[in-house]
Amino acid sequence: MGRIKKKGEKGNAANYITRNQAIRKLQINLGDFRRLCIWKGIFPREPRSRKKASKSASHSTTFYYRKDIQYLLHEPLLQKFRDQRVLEKKISKALGRGDISDAKRFEHNAARPDKTGKPTYTLNHVVRERYPTFVDALRDLDDCLSMLFLFANLPSTDAVPAKMVARCERLCLEFQHYLIVSHSLRKSFLSIKGVYYQANIQGEDILWLVPYKFKQQVVGDIDFRVMGTFVEFYMTLLGFVNYRVYTSVGLKYPPKFDESKDAQAAELGAFTVESEKTMGAIEAPAAAAAAAAAAAAAKELKPNPKVQQKVDKLIKEMNAEEKEDTNGITELAAPTEEDAPDALDKFEPAVAGGDILPQPSYSTTNPGKLFSNCTFFLSRETPRAPLEFILRAFGCRRIGWDAVLGEGAFTHDEKDERITHQIVDRPIVRAAMNQENGDGEDNQTAQKLGPNQQVPGRVYVQPQWVWDSINEEELKGVNSYVPGAQLPPHLSPFVKSTAGQYDPTVALEDQELEGEALDSDIESDPDVEEAEETNGNDLAVKDLSIDAHPDMDVDEGDDDEDEESAEGDNDSFGGFSEVEENGAAESGDEEDDDDDDDDDLRRRQLEMDAEMRGEHVSSEPQDPKSKAKAEAKKKHAAKAKQEAEELERRKGMMSKKKRRLYEKMEYGRNKQSAEAEKLRAKRRKIEKELAKPEA
Amino acid sequence: MPSYVVNKKRKASEEDAVAFDDEFQNGALEAVLSDGSDDEEDSDFEDFGSPSISSLDEAPDKGNDEEEGKYLAAETDDEDQPNFRVETDANGGVRYVYDEIDPVYDSDDPDAKEATNTIGDIPLSFYDSYPHIGYDINGKKIMRPAAGEALDALLDSIEVPKGWTGLTDPETGKPLNLSQEELQLLRKLQTNEFLGNGVDEYPVSLPAKSLVATGANTDIVITQDTVEWFTSVEEKMPLSAAPEPKRRFIPSKHEQKRVMKLVKAIREGRILPYKPPQEKEKEEAEKEEKYFDIWADEQPRDPHVMHIPAPKLPPPGYDQSYNPPPEYLPTKKEKEAWEKAEPEDREKEYLPQTFNALRKVPAYGTLVKERFERCLDLYLAPRIRRNRLNIDPESLLPKLPKPEDLRPFPTLCQKIMRGHEGRVRSVAFDPTGNYIASGGEDGTIRLWDKDSGHELWRAKVSSEDRVQVVRWRPTADTFILAAVVGEDVVLAVPQIDSLSGEVENTSREVLDNGFGYAKNATQLTTASGARKDPPGKWERPGSKLESQGVLLKVTVRSEIKVLNWHRRGDYFCTVSPAGQRSAIAIHNLSKHITNNPIKKLRGGIPQHASFHPTRPLFFIAMQRSIRSYDLSELKLDKTLRPGTRWISSFDLHPGGENLAVASHDRRLVWHDLEKSADPYKTMRFHSQSVRTVKFHKSKPLFADASDDGTMVVFHAKVVSDLSEDAMIVPVKTLKGHQVIDRLGVLDIDWHPTEAHFISAGADGTIRYWG
Repeated sequence: MGRIKKKGEKGNAANYITRNQAIRKLQINLGDFRRLCIWKGIFPREPRSRKKASKSASHSTTFYYRKDIQYLLHEPLLQKFRDQRVLEKKISKALGRGDISDAKRFEHNAARPDKTGKPTYTLNHVVRERYPTFVDALRDLDDCLSMLFLFANLPSTDAVPAKMVARCERLCLEFQHYLIVSHSLRKSFLSIKGVYYQANIQGEDILWLVPYKFKQQVVGDIDFRVMGTFVEFYMTLLGFVNYRVYTSVGLKYPPKFDESKDAQAAELGAFTVESEKTMGAIEAPAAAAAAAAAAAAAKELKPNPKVQQKVDKLIKEMNAEEKEDTNGITELAAPTEEDAPDALDKFEPAVAGGDILPQPSYSTTNPGKLFSNCTFFLSRETPRAPLEFILRAFGCRRIGWDAVLGEGAFTHDEKDERITHQIVDRPIVRAAMNQENGDGEDNQTAQKLGPNQQVPGRVYVQPQWVWDSINEEELKGVNSYVPGAQLPPHLSPFVKSTAGQYDPTVALEDQELEGEALDSDIESDPDVEEAEETNGNDLAVKDLSIDAHPDMDVDEGDDDEDEESAEGDNDSFGGFSEVEENGAAESGDEEDDDDDDDDDLRRRQLEMDAEMRGEHVSSEPQDPKSKAKAEAKKKHAAKAKQEAEELERRKGMMSKKKRRLYEKMEYGRNKQSAEAEKLRAKRRKIEKELAKPEA
Repeated sequence: MPSYVVNKKRKASEEDAVAFDDEFQNGALEAVLSDGSDDEEDSDFEDFGSPSISSLDEAPDKGNDEEEGKYLAAETDDEDQPNFRVETDANGGVRYVYDEIDPVYDSDDPDAKEATNTIGDIPLSFYDSYPHIGYDINGKKIMRPAAGEALDALLDSIEVPKGWTGLTDPETGKPLNLSQEELQLLRKLQTNEFLGNGVDEYPVSLPAKSLVATGANTDIVITQDTVEWFTSVEEKMPLSAAPEPKRRFIPSKHEQKRVMKLVKAIREGRILPYKPPQEKEKEEAEKEEKYFDIWADEQPRDPHVMHIPAPKLPPPGYDQSYNPPPEYLPTKKEKEAWEKAEPEDREKEYLPQTFNALRKVPAYGTLVKERFERCLDLYLAPRIRRNRLNIDPESLLPKLPKPEDLRPFPTLCQKIMRGHEGRVRSVAFDPTGNYIASGGEDGTIRLWDKDSGHELWRAKVSSEDRVQVVRWRPTADTFILAAVVGEDVVLAVPQIDSLSGEVENTSREVLDNGFGYAKNATQLTTASGARKDPPGKWERPGSKLESQGVLLKVTVRSEIKVLNWHRRGDYFCTVSPAGQRSAIAIHNLSKHITNNPIKKLRGGIPQHASFHPTRPLFFIAMQRSIRSYDLSELKLDKTLRPGTRWISSFDLHPGGENLAVASHDRRLVWHDLEKSADPYKTMRFHSQSVRTVKFHKSKPLFADASDDGTMVVFHAKVVSDLSEDAMIVPVKTLKGHQVIDRLGVLDIDWHPTEAHFISAGADGTIRYWG
């Protein structure tokens, strides 16, 4: 005999606590509670039964898990919040009393993170608690990076202090440096929202979004305090992650930061990544070369052959140095890569007969070597930051750009002969077509080439080439990416094709459902809208054909056992009114020994109809092609009908519970397939239109 | 004011007088003198601008002569030169003529003539137009006191004396000034103090002398004795003789504790030396965030059971590309629909766009908002763990054997028999399976040939009522057809050529046998003794019908809807739903007797009744339940609850252990009689009510007929073994009958041996399915 259970001691009632109760228990105000929840990662729950959790709960009541709140009770930050509140009270009291000096003294003690960007507390312990292992932290890095990259691009306001923006930017650039050094960037995608990047660190895929470099519009109700709280935590998190990833590849953290270069918009170039052991700058030579080149370029406004020679010589030397250095570095880096936790083994079946599993490799080609043999030059109209980052991350060491794009370039000289690829994103100017190699002087930039003028011996491509190349993991052919060319569609590398979904990379014929093309061929109309409508109607017509002509079976009074399918065929003829149907039915007895052939039957039917109406039958010669098509379509319709009948038969025998479940699933599947079908129809139409002018 | 002061002096204390006497030693006595002489001689100097004069306070006590004389004496003593001449007046008397006093301002003439009203009792306004007001004793005009600019100039040069009110004395037209005393008085009045002159309500402890020394002009203070409630004098001698306590001589422990605390704090660095605020700020700004390897000693920890990690945002699809494949771009219609929809209702928050160059891609407007919403989702949205059903929907569908394996079953309409006008209500195969009987709303019973589909025989049994049911007597040795027409059951032996004489004779014999049985056996009487109608009247239907083969008629009390034969053919039951107590009737053909075995029916209107195929059980379907009665013991055997709302009919499996129920709420229910009162299977294949259900006599088949014009043929394998459930497989949906007035197929009947059946439709046709 068990004890009588008391109410409210177990289950929902004991497990959940409303938000107000939680606040009262913690003795803090709502704002502090919110901050605490954000930092500690505590989120509301949905109790299985709201009524049981709290009798007075309405639909808008927020519930928290009671143990979460219990856990917050021991949070050291809670005391910090309380202290801060006490201080605020003291200040307001002193001000009320008129003790300005006291108030000032208190104010001086008060932490104002929104102004100084430096709170009195640290969130280190929270990071450790939330992410007991480094991999846990990496798993949660998506939002962190998206948020910090966004804040790095926000204008500083009262709500977003300039220091916060600067720190975000710095952390982001440091992280990018790690990705460059470790070559762990995998994919990138140019979307309408911004640039998506995907990196793989220790086997974790991290996907984040970087907005385009424009002033971000702040529309609608946006509470920057909430976002600021998130950013505060994310900054701490990314700092620790950066430290960890830097040290894991043997780099010193934080990297050296050159403020003067940063002021000249060097961005990535403002940092000098140093190895922990040698304490030597890894990228220093490149930077030095770049600086030298820049200096040379500055001098070279009017080309002086002597100076040019000297500079060339200097650069040659530098390059030699660089090569040596890089060799040194690779040697240095090699052992670390061996030790790196994400180093891969090859699994080969030791004994024959085992199944071959997919190898745990990221790609067949080394992403760090994709652009290693190229020298890029970015025109001034291209987005420098993403291009520089991606090119560097995929092994390119020499990137030059126009001087207007900022400091830190390998060269500012467009005519530099070492450049192999130039990224251009400008249309071909028609007016300037005739101008030939007239040096177009431009006061604002270091541009010394006229419009449409190209330096021989290098490849001119549009920026999309870079993205498509890294996503395909090979250098794509440049034919379709030359300036002014109609670009091929830029596809998201993150979509995994699933069965039944539309895939733009696969030919239309391969993914069409059976008979879909046939339907559309017969019913398609030149107008898009109409085409869509007919598509929509198509299904309805099919349904009708199943329901509305029940007497079709009559047409062949045949005892043949194999008639099932044939009978189905007949059903899909459609086009007979009920009355005609009856007429046919009446004469069904006479038709007992009719041929199975659909066509025959059909013709006969038509003849008979005509006879009944007292008309003469005109045998219309049919186009054999369309006839074949119609036949195929008929076959398909018959099959579809039979399947539908079979399904109906089985569905009738289901229990109510299972049937509901099945219908729910059907709904989702139908929605997906409708979506895919719509896309296919659009593509079919587009392809048809493209084919027309050729034909 | 001197005059006033002097006057006060007389009343004031002696000391005060002394003090004030000092003030007046500067030879102002002259004026005093002259003042004293005012009475006698009217001084004719014009009282110009002396602000101290007030008519209110001055009722100058014209001092006694004694005093005056004394003053006079003093005057004469002091003054060497008289300021008057002695003249003789008109009477020859001595007359002192004084020099005219030059009324310079500084003269400070103390005895300047007080204003006296010389104008009499007339309003002052009479003098408004004159420069003077009244006349003095000498008949000279008394000039109006200075006003306007002259006065302003003067006021500028002097300070406002005490007691100046700025008012004008209505009697004299001169400025009205209040004396100190009067002011004091007013103040006392205002503060509700005691008005008694010279009484200080609040004695001050200070000695009077010190007060004087401070020179305070509280001239009306009368010092009273101060009560010293507390001594103000410090006592030199200690009152207690206790020795000084020890604690006065040893260092305090508490203080030491506090000091030690401070020392500790300093040592630990909790108290830092003071730094100027600027320096401190600078230091703080320089301080870098200290990062270290926070995961140096990481230990994987299983997340809490209740922890639900935040779901990641889905990766961008093809349609988010800046240059997507063209099929992803929205058409005009889609675009309009998207723009028209509320932002909350949109399926996607963005519209796919295309740009032919990267440089043309603009900023994404709602990026900050999207991020913000993600933040809100992260900390504000309740997280629920939902189990996604990762099952193949195919697996939910029951696995049915292929219909091809379950042959034979009817698949096609082989014949259509037309002839009935109006609906065909009922059809039945004769026990041999060669003929089909049908009854329709035209009141005829017809017989059709199964093979040819030709009508063989017809009898019109009623001109107004419809033939509701036709059922053959189940034994093969006879050829008897029972049909229900309104309240009557007619029994006929259809006269067809192919019918053998033997069978016909037996049939007629069976029908006629009852006429000889116990005609007068019992007469039913009511309680009152009157003769009561028997539940069924057995009689011949009349010569016209008899010539057609209709030989017997049984009439019951109300309209019959259902008729079913007992397997042996000696009994048949009828159901007349409106019959109440006589609703269920069992008729004995051999004895021509009708019984109403069950009088009390519960559960609404009886719908259907049938005999058990093997055992002496009788089933009655009420609206919602089916009851079986044991006929041998005459008691209720069991009740079935098919769970439907309105049973239309049912049929018993020939094995007798299963039962199929058709219902008006579109369901077909299978009951296993051995198992439970609840249904074993419920099947829904129809969109309208299911009218009837029939089992095949020998084959594992049954079919139902519905108002939606369709019939479903099932394969039902029933094993006598209890451990195995019946297997029910729908094998074919048959469509053919048309729905007229929302009625489709009204009745079906199986061929006794073959897998064929016939159906009666509301469209007036009988269809043969094979």
